[in-house]
Amino acid sequence: MDEKFDCIIVGAGVAGLAAAMTLARNNMKFLLIEKGEFPGSKNVSGGVLWGNDLAKLVPDYWEEDAGWERFINHRRLTFMDDQSTFSVDFKSSHFNDPPYTGVVVLRSKFDRWLAEKVQEAIDASDYAMDSFIAPNVLVEEVLQKDGKTVGIKAGGDEFYSDSVILAEGVNNLLTRQVGLQDTYVPADHMLTGVKEVIRFDQKVLEDRFQLNGLSGMSNEFVGYATNGVEGGGFLYTNRDTISIGLVLGLKDLREKEQTPYDILNEFKKHPVIADTIRGGEVVEYSAHIVSSGDKRVMPEKLYKPGLVVCGEAANLLLNAGKAIQGMDYAMRSGILAAEAITKAKEKVDFGEEAMKSYQTALEDSYIMKDINNFQDAVHLLHDPVMTQKMPNLICDFGRNFFSIKNEPTPKSRNMLRGAIKRHASYWELIKLGAKSAKAL
Amino acid sequence: MKLLSLPERLGLVSYRNQAKSEIKPHILVDTDICNSTCPHKCTTYVCPANCYTKDENGKVHFQVEDCIECGTCMYACDQGAVTWKFPDPEIGRGVTWNFG
Ligand SMILES: Cc1cc2nc3c(=O)[nH]c(=O)nc-3n(C[C@H](O)[C@H](O)[C@H](O)COP(=O)(O)OP(=O)(O)OC[C@H]3O[C@@H](n4cnc5c(N)ncnc54)[C@H](O)[C@@H]3O)c2cc1C
Ligand code: SF4
Ligand code: SF4
Repeated sequence: MDEKFDCIIVGAGVAGLAAAMTLARNNMKFLLIEKGEFPGSKNVSGGVLWGNDLAKLVPDYWEEDAGWERFINHRRLTFMDDQSTFSVDFKSSHFNDPPYTGVVVLRSKFDRWLAEKVQEAIDASDYAMDSFIAPNVLVEEVLQKDGKTVGIKAGGDEFYSDSVILAEGVNNLLTRQVGLQDTYVPADHMLTGVKEVIRFDQKVLEDRFQLNGLSGMSNEFVGYATNGVEGGGFLYTNRDTISIGLVLGLKDLREKEQTPYDILNEFKKHPVIADTIRGGEVVEYSAHIVSSGDKRVMPEKLYKPGLVVCGEAANLLLNAGKAIQGMDYAMRSGILAAEAITKAKEKVDFGEEAMKSYQTALEDSYIMKDINNFQDAVHLLHDPVMTQKMPNLICDFGRNFFSIKNEPTPKSRNMLRGAIKRHASYWELIKLGAKSAKAL
Repeated sequence: MKLLSLPERLGLVSYRNQAKSEIKPHILVDTDICNSTCPHKCTTYVCPANCYTKDENGKVHFQVEDCIECGTCMYACDQGAVTWKFPDPEIGRGVTWNFG
């Protein structure tokens, strides 16, 4: 193929599709390559897409009955021991009207829908016949010549472009090939996610979770859910299914000799969860690596002449306990990457400095501000006092606080003291308290 | 609700090129390393699709057919035994998620 593109995007996940939409709107000639049968077919998330960038890409998306599952107006953070759960629960009609601040998605459906929207934007651009979304193609190599990015190689063919956006997700083989990430990335700051999609009669689902119309609930879990392994659990409501799963610290999993799908079954067997999912039918089991948000695993430099890396390929993710933010980071960083490429094209300069402006924009955005600010919270989530002792202590206190026994009731202060004594030392709590105060 | 075993769970996965008898494996494992110097053989318990197994003699075996492309073994194996690639869309295996 002699034709040269302004840009080739590798990967039609959230990051790649956001970049493509931005390029199409900016009248750029590009090729978006995806190895899956269709965009989304290879992707797994929890998943809630947080924030409102989606409305930038697809204005008034809420008026369409497609793509997304439910909007979140009900959030719950649950501490769990082997018998009990103690939750912080927040529901508000404040979140009922668009623009929503979080929508639940199933990637196989969502990415595919978003790709259709990108195709519409291509059709409306000057390059309706020259920009393409190409599924079923695996990019094998980024082509570089004299220190410059000149295109990619796929299926034995070479495709040329002024620039490449790597939006290949966390298993970022090409980011490694071009030398921006180490060839071997250790397990230390990675988690393995396992998930099931469970189907219900829609009416049963809506009644059980008190859903109204397209409202939805998100629930995160800390403690027994992960059976002693660092990490957490999640449960999100879709239209007529729920997404339930765990993210498990991979290094800890290795050290504790545990198996992800066995822990998932233990979680599902927990009396509170068993009541919640009763009568459902599992329709899919899936797994995927997810990064932790620990800066130590992020590539320092996200650009080279003619090339930028966005989304989870750049390990842009934050899991600070109350939510996993990977898709919104992918979306925003994809937009920023495409904007930098558009500017480079205007100035006919795809050099190092032009590409660096992408990373500068990223540093100035909420993504890097939050990642930088919440590093301590990320570490806290991997602190055994936080993930094990704390949930046990909280549930123990809850059990005492909510028991009415026809005998003199101790003051809550004493109940708390007892619970602390049984599960942790004051010293551990003081340390944890100090760390939490700093982290949040 | 009934808890599913791993084979039941994998039975719900849509794999690609399932009709093809010959597929090109996308992951190569140097099992000589597994069976000589590896101290933990962790992939035999952390792989979410149980592609790595230990036989009755403790010997590690790998099969790629059930792989769901999660990436876990690429990070978990710190012994340099795993060469990890994505499956070729035409002649590889790999997954197509229905929900994701
Ligand atoms: C269990 C779990 C739960 C999660 N929960 C949440 C959540 O609730 N909220 C949230 O925001 N995030 C969540 N995440 C994280 C989120 O899924 C990711 O951060 C997000 O998908 C990253 O988007 P991306 O576009 O960068 O990469 P991906 O979605 O991984 O997309 C990358 C794309 O590139 C393609 N590709 C890769 N290499 C090539 C190649 N060489 N050639 C061609 N195509 C290629 C892939 O097929 C894929 O389509 C979760 C993740 C997991 C695993
Ligand atoms: S960790 Fe690596 S070397 Fe050890 S058994 Fe698994 S694949 Fe083999
Ligand atoms: S990629 Fe995941 S499913 Fe495939 S063999 Fe490795 S750990 Fe197992």
